[in-house]
Amino acid sequence: MAKNSAEWAAKPKFPSSHYVDSRIYTDQAIFDEEKEKLFKGSWIIACHESEIPNACDYRLFTHPTGVPLIIVRSEDMKVRSFYNICPHRGNTILYDPAGNAKRMTCIFHAWSFDTRGDCIDISRAEQGYQDRFCKEDAGLREVKAEAGFGGFVWVNLDDASCTLAEYIGPALDMLGPHMEEPMEVFHFHKAIVDTNYKLWHDTNSEFYHDFVHYFNRITGMMQPGYFDRKYVGYPNGHASVGSMEIKYDAYAGGKVRKVGWPGLAPGGWILIDIFPGMTYNLRTSVLRIDTVVPLGPNKLIVEFRGLGLKRDTKEERAERVFDHNTIWGPFGRNLHEDLLAVHGQGRAMREGTDSRWVIHGREENSTIHDEVGMRHFYAEWSKRMGRPSYDPLGEGRPAPARVAA
Amino acid sequence: MEQRQQIEELIYRSCMALDDRDFKGFLEMCDAGFHYSITAYSPEIRKDMVWLDHDKAGMESLFTTLPRHNSDHSPLMRHATVYTVKIEGRHAEVVSALQVFRTALDGGATELFAVARLLDSVGLDGGTPKLARRVVKMDTRQLGYGYHIPF
Repeated sequence: MAKNSAEWAAKPKFPSSHYVDSRIYTDQAIFDEEKEKLFKGSWIIACHESEIPNACDYRLFTHPTGVPLIIVRSEDMKVRSFYNICPHRGNTILYDPAGNAKRMTCIFHAWSFDTRGDCIDISRAEQGYQDRFCKEDAGLREVKAEAGFGGFVWVNLDDASCTLAEYIGPALDMLGPHMEEPMEVFHFHKAIVDTNYKLWHDTNSEFYHDFVHYFNRITGMMQPGYFDRKYVGYPNGHASVGSMEIKYDAYAGGKVRKVGWPGLAPGGWILIDIFPGMTYNLRTSVLRIDTVVPLGPNKLIVEFRGLGLKRDTKEERAERVFDHNTIWGPFGRNLHEDLLAVHGQGRAMREGTDSRWVIHGREENSTIHDEVGMRHFYAEWSKRMGRPSYDPLGEGRPAPARVAA
Repeated sequence: MEQRQQIEELIYRSCMALDDRDFKGFLEMCDAGFHYSITAYSPEIRKDMVWLDHDKAGMESLFTTLPRHNSDHSPLMRHATVYTVKIEGRHAEVVSALQVFRTALDGGATELFAVARLLDSVGLDGGTPKLARRVVKMDTRQLGYGYHIPF
């Protein structure tokens, strides 16, 4: 039955853990608070070690809080991270997204820094600063950085944060045996979409949306084992989905994948979501990593990486690239569908549309179409934000109807 | 000169066929050994990337299955400009600039969607030039929510 205004505004007939107020996706104040309470103290994937293989190689990364970072492999081969902000006049130090820089020199006034973040030269220092200020006073702001869990470089802006291992806990144990060999990034691209970052992460946290993917319906949903895949929630809001055997040859023109992955059953697929916006997606021959970089309540960058094994032969790598592109490349069957879907959510939920609730109410014994993965995420979100996701503004009652645009 | 004109027309007609989603017509412009790739260089990971790579059968399969998928229905217009044509015997190498525009169905606003180079190999046997290989070398790497139909 269609609803009138009051019925549309009424809370869904589910427990409060099974729905959220859609203002958590649109409210600017909540978004600003998320940057401080969720992203600042979380470990975030900035890049992969293979992107900076040599001493003095660097990679730039804009942290989800907005802080511009340099990730650099120092001359002692340790990976470090610094603000890409000159301590002198606040200018950008490095401009190109990747490169090699033994000295990182700000073009504005030629202050130079080494790969440990120490200032090694202030132009005409004595003439201008006499004995009041020297290069020892002008180091870069260092950020905690650790490489791990498949050779990814993780950063954390909070000096007092827990360790990366404590943050991840057992969440990536299922993938551990499959990430012992060195990996290498072969694909990177960004997509900017008008949607909220949580909606992208939600898409990676539920498989009920396989109905949008013809490829997944044919190769997965219609195959044995699909409905046995189970969600497992872990501390800190992480969650995983178990494997099944994907029948790639069930898709017209598809074929059984020629290359596999160490320790993974043929056609296997493991997906693990890391709070608040990263996903490990190991699908038979390729590992895909998503990292969200929110730009606003309704604007998002997703960074996509595809990885193979460092030891790949030319032929093996070509197979992995082909497999990646078939579904996950910028012209792949599934990626466009997923991005189109969250674009549609952003369009329907943007401020002024009178969108009210988002339901996470499916219960199927934690199996593949259960929405427990999202419920697990929003329980953690609510705890860290100090706001229940079903009543984020503390109204304790259905929010007043917003005027439709 | 007449041969160059035929080659240029082939490039332009191939764009029009894809604009019109006339996939059969596009494939008829390709010879049996046709190979299609989309590539891009990533300054972020400092590597050449392959984004799509198919032989003629693979392209046919792609075009056959795409209607079963959920896709953006906004039309594209491919605007090519042939820069150079180098004819060597029964074969030509053609370099073109490509601009791809996307027009929204609701309201009809047009945006520049992508720019690329088309690197085409054209076979000249049999009187009618045919595409033997096409590499779409992308400059644009940020495609928003993307698109299913290749350029």
